[in-house]
This record gives sequence, C-alpha cells and structure tokens, in this order.
Amino acid sequence: MTPAAPPRSLLCELTYRCNLQCPYCYNPLKLALNEPELTRAEWMRAIEEAIGLGVVQIGFSGGEPTLRAADLVALTKCATDRGAYTNLITQGTFLDDALLDALLDAGLAHVQISIQAPERELSATIAGTDVFEKKVETLRRVAGRDVALTLNCVLHRLNHDSLPDVLAFAEREGIARLELANVQFYGWAYRNRAALMPTREQVERGAALVAETSLRLRGKMDITYVLPDYFEELPKPCMHGWGQLALTLTPDGRILPCPAATSIETLVFPNVRTSTVRDAWYGSEAFNIYRGTAWMPEPCRSCERREIDFGGCRCQAFLLTGDAAATDPACARSDRHELVVAYRDRDDSDTAWSPRRLDPALR
Amino acid sequence: MRLRREPDGSATLLVPEGIVSLNETAAAALALADGTRDDDDIAAELARHFDAPDGAIAEDVRTLLGDLAERGFLTR
Repeated sequence: MTPAAPPRSLLCELTYRCNLQCPYCYNPLKLALNEPELTRAEWMRAIEEAIGLGVVQIGFSGGEPTLRAADLVALTKCATDRGAYTNLITQGTFLDDALLDALLDAGLAHVQISIQAPERELSATIAGTDVFEKKVETLRRVAGRDVALTLNCVLHRLNHDSLPDVLAFAEREGIARLELANVQFYGWAYRNRAALMPTREQVERGAALVAETSLRLRGKMDITYVLPDYFEELPKPCMHGWGQLALTLTPDGRILPCPAATSIETLVFPNVRTSTVRDAWYGSEAFNIYRGTAWMPEPCRSCERREIDFGGCRCQAFLLTGDAAATDPACARSDRHELVVAYRDRDDSDTAWSPRRLDPALR
Repeated sequence: MRLRREPDGSATLLVPEGIVSLNETAAAALALADGTRDDDDIAAELARHFDAPDGAIAEDVRTLLGDLAERGFLTR
C-alpha cells in the first residue's frame, strides 16, 4: 500500500453545546462528554500540529462554536497566522458586531450561516426556539463585511415544501452562495429519520427548481443542491475516502476520520490528549482500517468505481448493517440495498421526532 | 479566495471549505487577477511570459476566471 497522503482539512468541533434543538443534527445522541472540553491551549497545540502536517483548510463548528467566543477568536488567529484558510460554521444567533469585528481582525475568511426555514414560524418549530429574526440580522451584518458568506439550509420533509421561499429569501438578501443539503442520516438525524425522510416527489421537485433557479441567477448566486443518497443508486464518495484528506476533532479531543465517525461503535479513536495528530493520522488503527481499497468486500473490491466512491460511507454502513466494512447500502449493488429502499419508500405515517437535547442518561 | 504556494512550489487555491490544485498557468493567471487587468490583459501577459500564442491562452483564462466569478469567488 502506498503511504497515506497528508491531511489537508481539519474540522474543529469546539463544543456540542447549542441553544437550538434541530432534529436533523448529525452530532451524536450522547452530547454529554465523559471528559471536559479541550482547553484553548489544547486546541492551539492540535491546530498547529495539523497545519504542520499539511492542513490548509480549518473549519470551526460544533454544536455552536460561537459559544466559545473568546477561544474561537484566538484559534482563528492562530490558524490564520500559520497560513490556513478559516471557516466558521454557525447558526448565527450569537454573532454580534463585536464578535464579528474580532473574528475578522483575527483573519476569518468565510462564514457559513444556517437557517432552518425561510420564515419565523417553521424555523421555530424546527429549531425549538424563536431565532429567525436574529439570524436575518446576523446574515445582513456579515453580508455587509469583507468576508465570504454562504447561506446554508438543510432540507428534510418538514421544510422541503418551503424550498421556493428559501430560494426567494436568498435572492432577496443578495446571497452569492447558497448550500441546500438534503439531510444525511447520522446522530440525531438518524434517530429522527422517519420524520425527516423527504418524499421522492419533494426531492425531485427540489432538484428541478434548483436547476431552473441556478440558470436564471447564473453569475449572481451559486447554488449547491446536495442530493440525498437514499434516493440515488450510487453512494456518495464520503470524505473523498477514509483518512485521505480530512480529519475532525471532537470537543473532548477525539481525532476522527469523519464528523460522524463516532457512530461506529466498534472503533476506538485516538485523542489529542494522549496522541499526536501525526500518530493518529498515519499510525492509528481507526484511520488505517478503511484506508485505500484493500479492506473492501465484494462487490466493492472488483468494482470499477472503487476509487471514485470508495465503497460509500462507513458510518452509514455501520448504522444500517452493524458492519462498518460492508458496502454502503445506499449503493444499488449492495446486497443490503433493500434496507434503504424500504426506508425510502415506506408510508409516511410515522412523523414523531425528538428535539436535539443534552440528556446525560443517553449513552 | 486565497492563492497559496505549497512548500513543494505547487499552487493551491483556497475557497470557502474547498481546496483546488492549480497548474502553473492557472496560478499565474490568478496572481494577475488583481482587479486592475481584464481577461485580455491577463491573457496577453501570460502569452508573453510563457511565450505562447495569445489566442490559445485567452480562451483558458476566460474559462477559468469566468468559472470562479460564477461561483462567487471573484468579482469582475
């Protein structure tokens, strides 16, 4: 096997805390940490080491990363000073003028702000709290500054029918980059997938509307529409391959090959408190186990797409089959594809969902 | 959007949550895209620099910068 390429991208999940309760969150059900959150000094050491290894893109996410505002500013500066491009992924309810000023002074290059819906009432239903006006205020504040801005809206059955209004809202606000991601089923979203799974009609109508709008707003607004893999016959090229490009640090320092990797209960992940990032990336079992193509079962092993989609998503394979090395059931060539089909095409009478919340009783 | 030189001399373009590896011509074109030159100026300078016919480079420059502008990474 050729030696692994260096990591290029690091996602820092500064905290799992969040004042919203979105049922589509990919964070783990167990939001309570066994160990305290990493300190600022621990984060800095990890970021410096990651940049030294080859990381050039750094994202700050969570939970809600602005809940650690002073640390966020310090870490943005630390990453920028060492040449990395920094992204803040936020729901926007705490990004006031003072914090935005401090982040821009620190060199922040890009802000992604998420909305739950294009209007107040549905937004409150999904987020569990009334914050839409606050988000619009933040959006306008960031749009008026010299920093790249992306508006993000995760689509699912509860808000899919308001997609025309999301597009109209983005156009009205003069948004240059809009990301419309159909929900992916990890963490809370997996628990709530019966209520969140869009209908085929919603997905197809959405794709057509986005295509039409992209054409009309060509040069003004760039729209990304992420298709849900449950509705495609081929799996997504998850993370561009396990341990190929990206790593994630959890609030308590676990080093993951993908933000959803804690779903895989059979793996033990290294931690920046006891391991270097270098040893984790190049030497740990958790990173090496699904690297390359040698681990693949059939039909992946002999598939002509094995270096295109890498067998799909390991986390999804584990969640659906209990075996993280299985072919992703989202692939029509998987012998477990019926698991996805059954879920996708079921009747939609089951609409109950649990809001994301910290429950120490969950393991 | 940020143009970056890697330790091995290659060029990388950093965009919101993305990394694009550039060839030498693309890197040179972007280094010239500073708001004071239009596509034709950039193509002409590159043609001089790489000692290539104007026409061949002009099309590539228009495609590259057009693509980046369309994605909102560059203002024209």
